[in-house]
Amino acid sequence: MHMVKGLIHGTQKRKFTELVGYGLVAPYVIYSIIFWVYPFLWGLIIAFKKWNIISPDKEFVGFDNFIKVIQDPLFWISFKNILFFMIVYIPLVIICSLSVALMLNRIKIFRSFFASGYLMSYVSAGVAYSIVFNLLFAGDGLINTWLGHVGITIPWFSDPKIAMASIAMIVVWKFMGYYGLIFLAGLQSIPNSLYESAEIDGASNWTQFWRITIPLLNPSFIIILVFAVMLSFNVFTEPYMITGGGPLDSTQTFVMQIYHQTFTALHAGYGSSFAILVAIISFTFVFVIRKMVERDISYG
Amino acid sequence: MGRFVRLSNRKRSNTLGLTVIYSLLSLGLIFMIFPYVWMILASFKIPAEIYQRFLPTQITLEHYQTIFSLGSTGSTQPFVKAIFNSLFVSSITTGSVVFFGAVTGYALARLSFPGKTFLNNLVLFQMLFPVVLFLIPRFLLILELGWINTYQGMMAPFMISAWAIFLFTQFFKTVPQVLIDAARIDGCSELRIIFKIILPLSKSVTMIIAIFTFMAMWDEFLWYLIVTKDYNLMPLSVLLGLYTRGEYSSYPGILTAGATLLTVPILALFFLFKKYFTEGITMSGIKG
Repeated sequence: MHMVKGLIHGTQKRKFTELVGYGLVAPYVIYSIIFWVYPFLWGLIIAFKKWNIISPDKEFVGFDNFIKVIQDPLFWISFKNILFFMIVYIPLVIICSLSVALMLNRIKIFRSFFASGYLMSYVSAGVAYSIVFNLLFAGDGLINTWLGHVGITIPWFSDPKIAMASIAMIVVWKFMGYYGLIFLAGLQSIPNSLYESAEIDGASNWTQFWRITIPLLNPSFIIILVFAVMLSFNVFTEPYMITGGGPLDSTQTFVMQIYHQTFTALHAGYGSSFAILVAIISFTFVFVIRKMVERDISYG
Repeated sequence: MGRFVRLSNRKRSNTLGLTVIYSLLSLGLIFMIFPYVWMILASFKIPAEIYQRFLPTQITLEHYQTIFSLGSTGSTQPFVKAIFNSLFVSSITTGSVVFFGAVTGYALARLSFPGKTFLNNLVLFQMLFPVVLFLIPRFLLILELGWINTYQGMMAPFMISAWAIFLFTQFFKTVPQVLIDAARIDGCSELRIIFKIILPLSKSVTMIIAIFTFMAMWDEFLWYLIVTKDYNLMPLSVLLGLYTRGEYSSYPGILTAGATLLTVPILALFFLFKKYFTEGITMSGIKG
């Protein structure tokens, strides 16, 4: 009798904690349905419709929007620009941030001073630093005034060949401290004993770097590469503020196109299918990079 | 003897190496800080000196005066309002992200109920999905709700963050069960347990979530650009962005003053909470 009572009490208690649990997650669940699941499904649906947001009729057009996107020269121009951005941005930001991390890892005094100094650029707002670099690198700006003393001026944002590279460079400025800290955390997790035994075996610093440091930094490389690729596909504020996509469409990006198509030209269906294709492409990139770079590291 | 010579040689090359490292780091740091210094100096320079001179020969407040008096002949001052709008939207969202993040994270970490695994997976799933996919349908939803040009419209997509829930869930798993049990025996409600016992024990993760959320909201541009049309409701980032591309594009003094206003609050936050910024980044490399 007692036991049965205890059992009933136990189930009641369990029921109660379950109810409490549901109560606590309810806001998240409701919010997710309204602002995540519903938009997600709606986005999929309107990608198959022709719709200008204003008019009530939404004609079902099958894969027409997707075909139009693929046939749109600006889609391919943006794609090419983003690839160019990545080719400049990723190696440059990795070299800069890894150098900073390696140097920070070697010093003891002033380490946190330098670390936060290099991180300062990370907190700058997109709009603010776009304004600043746009003025600094302007045709008659300070950088060109200084370069002028040695007889060169560089049309940073006005030459279609280099405009996207210039944008990549300023994004390197923003993120190198941030990635540097990720690398530094990776470096600090490498056991010192590995270097000590390599030292005894007579391995040079160079060999140690390529045989120990780089392979064991693999997890940091993965995080940074994934971040950098996602960032590249989402570039918007800098070209929007500095070049407006020009000169000659050389700084058009996917998000700028989606923005323009949907909110200026009001092609909601078209913009939606564009966004879906972009999501698929960026996922594929991330997946391929992970497959290519990810290594099982074990030491001991 | 030979050994001794080798050692002292190594020591010398070490000091040399360190000198090189410190010099390079300092040089790099100058490059990193230069844009900030230039921006702040430029905002106090007379227009003729902004482009060509690094150091000003005279200091002027005219750009800030212009910014703060813009529209003062009418009833509204868009920049003053924009600063308020940015602060308002960023603070409310930060509060909400922390509150719902903690509540949901607690349930997912410490309570058991059917469907919990599903929700944990949903959180991970939401973290992976690119924002670009939601831009248009969320805008349409806000349009349908009649929230264009409202604070709700600006904040709605950011009020609960899967990233915050994930971090809280991970961290709350490490809180000792005894503390929770003891509080329950004392008759504490679950909400009391979360906010009086668990959250104070998770100060650094809470600070990290709050700071990064505030910064992201302050910095947000695209979403605000889409949902605000009224100059009086715009956050600072959008107002400044539109002014830069529009009527003030040839007034570098006003632009740098605006950029300084947009940068300084977050920079102040950074210097106040440096520790949490570095901790937050090294924790996993969160948020891109």
